[in-house]
Amino acid sequence: MIFIIDSLNLHEHSDIVKDMFRLRKRVFADRLGWDVQVSQGMERDRFDELDPAHVISVDDEGRVVGCMRLLQTTGPHMLSDVFSSILDGEPPLRSATCWEATRFCVDTERLVSGRARNSISYVTSEVMIGAFEFAMASGVSDAVAVIDPVMDRVLKRSGNAPHGYLGTPKPMGKVTALAALMDCSEDRVNRIRDFAGIYHDVTQPQTVMA
Amino acid sequence: MDIIDLSVVASDDANFLEYLDQLCARLGFDFASYATTSPMTGAVQGYANYPDSWKMHYMRRNLHRVDPTIHKSALSIAPVDWARFERDERFRAVFFAAEDFGITPQGLTVPVRGPYGDRGLLSVTRRCPRSDWDKLKRAAIGDLQVAAVHLHDAVMRSDVISRALRQPRLSTREIEVLQWVAAGKSQMDIGDILGISHRTVEVHLRSAREKLGTLSTVQAVGRAIGLGLVYPR
Repeated sequence: MIFIIDSLNLHEHSDIVKDMFRLRKRVFADRLGWDVQVSQGMERDRFDELDPAHVISVDDEGRVVGCMRLLQTTGPHMLSDVFSSILDGEPPLRSATCWEATRFCVDTERLVSGRARNSISYVTSEVMIGAFEFAMASGVSDAVAVIDPVMDRVLKRSGNAPHGYLGTPKPMGKVTALAALMDCSEDRVNRIRDFAGIYHDVTQPQTVMA
Repeated sequence: MDIIDLSVVASDDANFLEYLDQLCARLGFDFASYATTSPMTGAVQGYANYPDSWKMHYMRRNLHRVDPTIHKSALSIAPVDWARFERDERFRAVFFAAEDFGITPQGLTVPVRGPYGDRGLLSVTRRCPRSDWDKLKRAAIGDLQVAAVHLHDAVMRSDVISRALRQPRLSTREIEVLQWVAAGKSQMDIGDILGISHRTVEVHLRSAREKLGTLSTVQAVGRAIGLGLVYPR
């Protein structure tokens, strides 16, 4: 199940968000060796203070198994700042209809290979479907995602290949990072759904705020 | 969108209001409003084509201080449907009397973020059945996103200090794509020439249009030539 959590509904889901920061610590600090700030077992940075939206996959046991962070490219975002090296010193793109996805990861310790509900491929697809449908409903037609080569291969294998890249891959910790472009379209969502066999609504409906 | 272009007319209040009127007429909304807090001065700047009676009511009671369509929507990266505020006491307090002024609480706010931490909000309302509202929203939301950024950037540019900070910075790829457009190439051709997909060409074009403050590609090429970024050929 996908939860879209931002500063509007954060107070309803603070446990999920803490769990997400713990997952990000295990992935980006421990596994990928990125130069990220860790405190109390959680990885958070200043972009988390800019009211981003988080797309979070929670498994049947209530554990966070995948996540992605979204920011508008019209405002401050990672490619305009800390990831600018990927762009070879070029200015970042800026578009009302293009969002930036960063900190995209799944829990490779808890998830297995194959295509079952608890697989890396299923959760990756679920997060992507949730993010693309959220973007489309918001009038956003494109996304630029900062990913590592492993994630790039997973995307290519799951009917979700990027249609282009910005700049060139750059070393980041134990891996390289690249900026991949994807259209947020029915076509792409359908390809992912067909690959993963996901035909139900993946996203928890937005609640009315009290 | 064939709507007033704020990058070529004087950045003044009359033109911002005219923009809201044309936006409503073109996309099918009853009313539109825009609000921002200047990152330089902290002053709230706003425009609305609501009836004067409602504007007076709103301002006299300082409703902008509590209105969650302003304060909460600014925390979102996505457009916020006011239906999400239905159970919010402050929303009810603000819109309790709205019906008396012919204002419906059926609305949507599109939040905009600028590069310097500036934030703006474009809101639209329409009195109609819920099902029609959902359809209208789906049809208009992409245009609303583009319009919101266009208006926000124009308001920010109208501030003298901001203007100095806002020279467009196009990437080499964006300039390259515009140069090929100037040479008469189609998006498909340009993709082939540069060895990138036509969709990637489209993303670069959209970004270039926005950085140049333009609404169409033709206009973006013209302005890029004017700025010496692209050579006419």
